[in-house]
Amino acid sequence: MAADKQTKLLAKQLFKLSLVNGVVSPEQVTGVLGWVEKYAHRRPVALLKAYHHRIAIELAKSRAEVEHAGPVSDATLRQIEAAMTKRYSRPVTASARPNAKLLAGLRVRVGSDVYESSVAGQLATLSL
Amino acid sequence: MLPLLLATVEEANHAAASGPLAGLQQTFEHFGVEPKLILFQLISFLILFGVLYKFGIKPTIATMEERNQKIAAGLKHAEETQARLAAAQQESAAIIKAAQLDAQKAVDEARKAAKDFGDKQQAEAITRAADLLAKAQQAIELEHRKMLNEARGEIARLVVKTTEQVLAKKLSDADRAAFNEAATKELSAL
Repeated sequence: MAADKQTKLLAKQLFKLSLVNGVVSPEQVTGVLGWVEKYAHRRPVALLKAYHHRIAIELAKSRAEVEHAGPVSDATLRQIEAAMTKRYSRPVTASARPNAKLLAGLRVRVGSDVYESSVAGQLATLSL
Repeated sequence: MLPLLLATVEEANHAAASGPLAGLQQTFEHFGVEPKLILFQLISFLILFGVLYKFGIKPTIATMEERNQKIAAGLKHAEETQARLAAAQQESAAIIKAAQLDAQKAVDEARKAAKDFGDKQQAEAITRAADLLAKAQQAIELEHRKMLNEARGEIARLVVKTTEQVLAKKLSDADRAAFNEAATKELSAL
């Protein structure tokens, strides 16, 4: 069931209440969920879905998923975390995920942004 | 007869002997001519002539005059009619000539218009044919380029696939680690 305009607006307000200094706060999220549970909305499922979507997007912006082919050291992950934290002006944590299709190199995904430096990407550019 | 003539001549000679007037009188008496009768006959004739003139000759002359006038008027009318006919013929000839000129002009204009239309159609057909030819050539060239691009893309894909397969087999962990370090530096510098 798609959320209507009022539900989306309420989800947006609840999402803003969930942030502390631009970062999603678990305590605030718990409080918001308690409020939703206490004061039943006329469309609670749609409201929670819209709220969850916004929280997921925000959390994805604080996570850097590093796809790699070959060994990656912790120092490399920390270096990427530092670079992305500086770039987005927020704390970003990196997590590694092997991807042999890259052949060699890295692909970093932060939210909807993708940064890639891999042999597969360079070969794909050549094939265009 | 002869004796009568001889007697007459003899009496005439006798009368001539007594005077010309008396002889003439004797001759008239001899032939039975009476002056009174002649005078009456003359009066009768004049009366008859007057009656005939009044009731016969004069109406006849008037009728003839009237008829002559009618004939003259008819002739005049005929002449006028002939003149009008001639004028009408001239006018109709002029009208026919003008109509012929107009018709000729219209035919010339129609021929010119038909020729212009034909020339225009021919020019348009030539232009259309040239456009079609140009479009066909463009389509052929486009198709050719498309085929070349597809061939290039296919070749590039094959080369890349082959390269990927070779690299997947040939790259060692050390090579990958070195490449990952370089990639980390590159991404950190963004």
